[in-house]
Amino acid sequence: MKTFKNIVSGLLVAILFTSLGFSQQMKELEIGSKAPMVDKKMKNVSGNEISLQDAAKENGLVVIFSCNTCPWVERWEDRYPMVSNIASENEVGMIALNPNEDYRDRGDGMDDMIKRAKKMNYDFPYTLDKDHEIADAFGATRTPHVYLFNADMKLVYVGAIDDNARDANSVDSFYLKDAIEQMTAGKKVTVPATKSLGCTIKRVS
Amino acid sequence: MKSVIATLLILLMGCSSSGEKKILVDTSAAQLVGHIESFKGDKPVLVNYWATWCVPCIEEFPYIMKLKEKYGEEFELIFVSGDFEEAKEEAKEFLKEQNVDFTTYYKTGKDNEFIQTVSESWSGALPYTVIYAKDGTVSTEWEGKAEYEQFESELQKVINEG
Repeated sequence: MKTFKNIVSGLLVAILFTSLGFSQQMKELEIGSKAPMVDKKMKNVSGNEISLQDAAKENGLVVIFSCNTCPWVERWEDRYPMVSNIASENEVGMIALNPNEDYRDRGDGMDDMIKRAKKMNYDFPYTLDKDHEIADAFGATRTPHVYLFNADMKLVYVGAIDDNARDANSVDSFYLKDAIEQMTAGKKVTVPATKSLGCTIKRVS
Repeated sequence: MKSVIATLLILLMGCSSSGEKKILVDTSAAQLVGHIESFKGDKPVLVNYWATWCVPCIEEFPYIMKLKEKYGEEFELIFVSGDFEEAKEEAKEFLKEQNVDFTTYYKTGKDNEFIQTVSESWSGALPYTVIYAKDGTVSTEWEGKAEYEQFESELQKVINEG
């Protein structure tokens, strides 16, 4: 009887682990990998549907997994326009994806995204990554989490926008900006991967 | 030797000039790694990286404190705050509310270097929990919120290993 109880409690814990995203250790897309799911259409805040391929420009694409509910995003968001400008100047597209499926009724629904995009003057597509399918395919773990693809849609940079979420005026290393400029100049990206603190993506099982 | 020095430094920083124990002490990644390593061969260690701005961190914090209450000295509990400098007081207040009466740590330095130094597999998402076995190896680690039963089940594994 005791053994049966142990088995049942073990199973319950295992189910809990799985259902709550325990051990959310995703396999991140490796540098040099092709962007997955580039043709999957997503709802955009402007009302249309758009894919990663649609958002890409001649020299590539910046993908930012973002959201409305993460204080870390709020800190970095003042740099989204700068990233958008640099990307545009270098014929690189930019798109933000909201993968927080578990928070659709807690600030990360489409209506909230529309308000956020208006308030922050987003001049790039902000799309709803339904059931975090694209975030899963990328192995994205947090918001903000940035990916830069080249003209062949191969990954050349992954990580943070820069090295100082707290203060845009105190940045020492402009990781993403440098990567865009090096990539479009035909040079090797010197720092292809960085890490930063961020909010976990709010996944559903 | 390095880990001994790091541990001494971190212990010294844990006390104010009046001898009162501080509940939130600055730590570099190297000091933290040394501190964790100092328990190798002695007891298992649970490290939880959190921040006041992180809702899931706040939600799971009491579960971890409950483990501390239940298992006491059978394991070492290390909290590391990833709060912004201006939120340090808020973090201290939260720790007091949670009845934390032992030294916890505050991450200093750049994110990238800190995260790379403490763990190859941590992406930077909070909360992040690592449980080290008594021999210093990583028994398990995960990003995101866990429930009490999950923490306890994983902790029991390393405690029962002896």
